[in-house]
Amino acid sequence: MKKDVEVAILTMEGTNNEEEAYQSFKHSGASPEMIHLKKLENGTKKLSSYDILFFPGGFSAGDYVRAGAVMAARMRSRLMKDLEEFVESGKPVMGSCNGFQTLVELGLIPNVEEKYGLEAALAPNISNRFEARTVYLKISKGHCLFLSEFEDGEIIKLPIAHSEGRFVPKDKKVLEKIVKNGMNVVSYVNQLGNPAGYPWNPNGSESNIAGVCNREGNVLGIMPHPERVFYKYTESDWTRGGGKGGMGNPFFRGALKYSIEKY
Amino acid sequence: MIEKGALNEVPMFGKRSEELSHISERMHLGLSVEEMSRMQVYFENEGRNPSDVEVQAIAQAWSEHCSYKSSKIHLKKYIFGIGKEKVVAEGDAGLVSLDDETAIAFKMESHNHPSAIEPYGGAATGVGGILRDIVSMGAQPIAVTDVLYFGTKKIKGFPSPKFIEGGVIAGIRDYGNRVGIPTVSGGIVYSEFFSPNVLVNVGCVGVVEKKRIRSSAISKPGIKLIIAGGKTGRDGIHGVNMASAVMESGEEDISTVQLGSPITKEPLIHAVLEANERGLVYALKDLGGGGLSSVVGEMLQSGGMGGRVLLDRVPLKESNMKPWEIWISESQERMLLAVEEEKVGEVLEIMEDWDITAEVIGESEEGKRLRIFFAGERVLDLDTDFMTSPVLYERPSSIKERRIVQVLPKNPTDFGKILMGMISDKNVRTREYVVRQYDHTVRGSTVIGPFTGIVGREGPSDASVIRPDWNKESGVAITHGSNPFYSQIDPYMGGKAAVDETVRNLISVGAEPLGFSDCLNSGNPEKPEIMGEFIEMLKGLHESAYDLNLPFVSGNVSFYNEAGKRRIPTFPTILGVGKVDTISNAISPDFKGTDRSIYLVGIPTTDMGGSLYYRRLKIDGGRVPYSDPKTLKRRGWNLLRAIRSGKVSSVHDISEGGIATAISEMTIGSGIGALLDLSPLGLRADFAMFSEPQSGWIVEVKKDREREFEEILGEDSMYLGQTQEGSFEVVRGEEKLVSVGLDLILRNWKRGYL
Repeated sequence: MKKDVEVAILTMEGTNNEEEAYQSFKHSGASPEMIHLKKLENGTKKLSSYDILFFPGGFSAGDYVRAGAVMAARMRSRLMKDLEEFVESGKPVMGSCNGFQTLVELGLIPNVEEKYGLEAALAPNISNRFEARTVYLKISKGHCLFLSEFEDGEIIKLPIAHSEGRFVPKDKKVLEKIVKNGMNVVSYVNQLGNPAGYPWNPNGSESNIAGVCNREGNVLGIMPHPERVFYKYTESDWTRGGGKGGMGNPFFRGALKYSIEKY
Repeated sequence: MIEKGALNEVPMFGKRSEELSHISERMHLGLSVEEMSRMQVYFENEGRNPSDVEVQAIAQAWSEHCSYKSSKIHLKKYIFGIGKEKVVAEGDAGLVSLDDETAIAFKMESHNHPSAIEPYGGAATGVGGILRDIVSMGAQPIAVTDVLYFGTKKIKGFPSPKFIEGGVIAGIRDYGNRVGIPTVSGGIVYSEFFSPNVLVNVGCVGVVEKKRIRSSAISKPGIKLIIAGGKTGRDGIHGVNMASAVMESGEEDISTVQLGSPITKEPLIHAVLEANERGLVYALKDLGGGGLSSVVGEMLQSGGMGGRVLLDRVPLKESNMKPWEIWISESQERMLLAVEEEKVGEVLEIMEDWDITAEVIGESEEGKRLRIFFAGERVLDLDTDFMTSPVLYERPSSIKERRIVQVLPKNPTDFGKILMGMISDKNVRTREYVVRQYDHTVRGSTVIGPFTGIVGREGPSDASVIRPDWNKESGVAITHGSNPFYSQIDPYMGGKAAVDETVRNLISVGAEPLGFSDCLNSGNPEKPEIMGEFIEMLKGLHESAYDLNLPFVSGNVSFYNEAGKRRIPTFPTILGVGKVDTISNAISPDFKGTDRSIYLVGIPTTDMGGSLYYRRLKIDGGRVPYSDPKTLKRRGWNLLRAIRSGKVSSVHDISEGGIATAISEMTIGSGIGALLDLSPLGLRADFAMFSEPQSGWIVEVKKDREREFEEILGEDSMYLGQTQEGSFEVVRGEEKLVSVGLDLILRNWKRGYL
């Protein structure tokens, strides 16, 4: 059993959620480290020496092209083999917001064909603008290791903040496989827990998909930000009472528990 | 000593005054004849003509923007020095104490002129500039704020208000979101006053360990100067001179607006703060208005040093720049770090790690001379004291006689309709169409954001609260105050009202106010009536801050917000910060439960000048509401005591639209209504409901805590009614005045959005 869980939080110019991701892992009891992509590229740091990999949100390389595209392209050209090994060894990999976009660009999500090809995109929101709001989400945990600490069917609230978050699968087949395999683990719902339109689904995502896990359950891409709600006091409605603890907290607890038990 | 004939000499020797003013015009210096003659005398004593680099450098340093030459005498008299014991440090931003180890750095400043010319770039670089001011103190930015004032009328020769608004908002959004600091607080005011002189007042708040606070003064020789971040280009040349003059048309001067690059800024912040965290930085300052010229001059002069700079070392965007252009360029995303020689290597390594361009460009030296070299030639050789000490002006001022005419409107009949008109007024209704485009949760520390209440039907909050350190329970509250409508009628009371609103908002979230930053907006100070308004405003600010014993730790002055015959009122935007001792005690304005008592803290007034009610009735005139800082202090701090001791479940301050609007807003985030009885107020119903008394709050008190609450607030509190399900009703005894459904309130408040 491993006591010290080492987490690599990958940064490059324009990533900007690394601080809250770092704090969330730290406050979960892990040993996080921010690693500039450059250091993986030049070999100063090795992916294989970490237990968990996290892709933070932000605007990698400014997102002036397609969100996440530049970061993914840089990784594909130099680090794809290391990344595939990391994923295939079963270690947890998570990306939120821009990190989700990067995971999709890398072909790690949804990867229904298991060829790490581009099977989906996170397209501009239907409102055609940046959306920052709290959303209701339904957890369908499947065997996604990040969700092991939730009840199946649980409704949670997390913030979103993005302009490109509309999950669009490449074709119907990809969507069918996602649904059939139970990979659509986090979905936008309304306050009653039912599927609904904008603004409950803030970006127009196909099938209200907010987060997708790979079939093996160790790679999670999610548009909302669990790392921003580690404690109750950053839930947007905490002053109204209730709330047991930050709703993003179980994501980290789940990943940590898994790493401690498995390694 | 520069050889005669070498480089670009500016012939000034023996020139008459009209020739001097011609030079000022030709070189875009923006200096008066008096200032030009002062320069002439200096160089006559040096026995030579100045170089173009020298003349440009002096013009930067002596610009209104850099030197505060028209305002400094008055700022010293009215603003500096209040509440001194609460100031931890001052510099590019000011600092107050959050706890024993931590200080809060904050500042608000204007980016008005650039935003009027090129709204997108102007607003974006406004955010960039204010972030650098916070980082310059060694502090980690935790929040960006912005208060925007948009025109409502298209003025010939200037861009349309819609175009300006769209550009400004997009600029703030694209820069703020990319740089990863939450935009959590601000405001938007629409008025004809701001056509075409749009105002963009941007603020930033940061935190720093007290032992890591940096100053910008260099007081030792041999300290190396490192320029880090973006490269230097021709963008933003003469920006400070442009900001120190009246606008002629919207199309000129576009080259004076800089271009921002948030994804250069984001790692630059990381790198600079890491170097500071590791104790490698001796002093630092950001490169803003006036560029290297202002920064190097001020860093050396404030520490009593001289120094040398090699301009060839400055990394450039374009190769053929003239030395004076390099020296005064206002290119964005640059910081100047002063580093002891043995630490230079480590600092450059950190920069390299973050992919930041950094170069050693010079060092400090004994003496008072600053010498600049380019291509082996000395292009500037000046006494730093002379360079950085402009003529200060005590410009003539006159106070306009104001006849206050109290007007009495007809007694209205349909109060509900008036109220719904107010809720949907463009200065009251939701700002979600803008604010939801700003990331307000990045960094994961936002305890109270711009909207609070039930998810999906959130209402407005009074102030934001950030928890800067996840290991501590304390929070930083952030808010603003301003009221250009009051200020237009009475700049003195407008100043006081701005402080009052700031304090009200901080108290409303359960924060103890700690200090202010004042961003002062005005017209052409060379006109006596404007200087008069400016001084009146300062008097108002002074009296309020003095009685509250709270400091203005930072600020800026933006004059010349005029175009043709149109000008803005003279008024301040105040950025205020406060301390929430335990975040679990922070509070929001949405009602929390039914059948709870609603109290009014404060007294409605008959002074309706500038109020939303009168503005909607198109009544011009009337006395503006009176703010008494002593009353504010008593009520505010008592209310804070009641909040901290758990007597209160929601609080909202009374501002635009009065008591009725405040209570309507408390129903929005909660879906809980209210039943009020105005009988105890004894005023005309419209005055009771819609007047905007200063130092006033609406408070929902927890069940069975009424007595304790009344004991703390004493005569300052008055029972008004109860919260209830379903609707908002107002009666006066038997008479029914208002009865509206909560959905109608919500719909009106959301008008234009969804």
